[in-house]
Amino acid sequence: MSFAQNKSKSKILSYIPLLILFFISLNGNSTVNLNFFSINIHYILVYFWVLRDPKLLGYGFIFLSGIISDVIFGIPMGITALSLLVVASVAAYVRVVTVRISLVNDWISFLPALLLANLFYFISMYYSDLPIDYIYLMKNSFFTFIFYPILWSIFSLFLNFIKS
Amino acid sequence: METSRDDLGIAIRSAFIKKGTQQKFSLFALIIISILLIFAESIKAKPINYIKSVIKDLIYHSSLVISYPTKAINGIRNFTSGHMEIYDSNKILKKENQDLKNNLLNNDYLKLENIQLKKLIDENVTNSKNRVTARVMIDKQSLYLNSFIVSSGSNKNIKKGMAVLDGRNFIGRIVDVNYFSSRVLLVTDLNSKIPVIMEPAAHQAILSGRGNDPLTLDYLPKDQMIQDGNVVYTSGKEGLFTPGIPIGTVLKKSNQFYVSLFSDLSQVLFVNINVGDNESK
Repeated sequence: MSFAQNKSKSKILSYIPLLILFFISLNGNSTVNLNFFSINIHYILVYFWVLRDPKLLGYGFIFLSGIISDVIFGIPMGITALSLLVVASVAAYVRVVTVRISLVNDWISFLPALLLANLFYFISMYYSDLPIDYIYLMKNSFFTFIFYPILWSIFSLFLNFIKS
Repeated sequence: METSRDDLGIAIRSAFIKKGTQQKFSLFALIIISILLIFAESIKAKPINYIKSVIKDLIYHSSLVISYPTKAINGIRNFTSGHMEIYDSNKILKKENQDLKNNLLNNDYLKLENIQLKKLIDENVTNSKNRVTARVMIDKQSLYLNSFIVSSGSNKNIKKGMAVLDGRNFIGRIVDVNYFSSRVLLVTDLNSKIPVIMEPAAHQAILSGRGNDPLTLDYLPKDQMIQDGNVVYTSGKEGLFTPGIPIGTVLKKSNQFYVSLFSDLSQVLFVNINVGDNESK
């Protein structure tokens, strides 16, 4: 495969995270609820790509994706956007201060990102006079944290594939 | 301490305020916009509401377009699962239908068997002491060998030479006994020779089997007065069988006497074996 072909392949593949971001927002799949499980794919996606390759997932797109999610789920505009930007902020900070990339480092640093994002989400919802399901919020945070390594592995493989 | 605080400041500034590599917006600015948007939600002004409704409409329509593939996949999945359900239920229904058909056939067979068994019970009530009932297992007959295999043997005290009846009519005798089965040599067999007596003249003769041809009466007295329709019974001579078991009627054709059996041998399902014959011996 020639250099130009490789470059175009890499360019096309690099849009996939963005496509996933908008697809899950527009399709209302940002949170996967399976019986007892509840996983926020949105947070994991944003955290991973901002941490590992922020070029592929611009902050403006993250903001827009949050706005779309808010409209789709019928919550006040800006709440999910704010939560996602908080996740992106923590990821950006971790990226600046971290030298060595590893799953354990990423996973541990994902916990404060998740807690902060949910704190902002909770405060915003609280002032919007909307009912909050605390158990759901807790469950969602817990399973999102647990599920992170699985998506981390998939995204890492994909990232290596783009870079190869 | 000073250095560490400086590092933290640099890191935060670098992460939040500066636009990163190829980033058009800074995180800090976007966070501020998000907070403003949340506050704007509580403001009830016409222009803001108008803008919001335009944005929402745009997002709803985009979502509709984006969700088409998902809906299509769900539709295909539902269709496939529905199809599979129909396929499975069709298989179950087919099996049920087959079972019901089999049951119907079985019912018909049981009805027939019931009729046969009722007949046998009636007969057994009157002759329960002397007779053993057996089912005809194999009735493949040939030109040379007319016999049945019945489902009782020495386990029911059946012995060679015992008379075999269809209902009350004589049809043959036991020629071979196993533990659970026996062979019945039918009166039509070429080897079958039965001493008989005819009513009302009381003439004695030997009833000879002739394969598929009608049975003949041999060794008749010269001055016999046998008529068409006279009844033929076992004579009990030589102590072979119980005397007086009906066999058939005489048919006279061009001075030759034949016997038409009371029983249709091709329709026999159960037989009575005259165990009393053994005692009489």
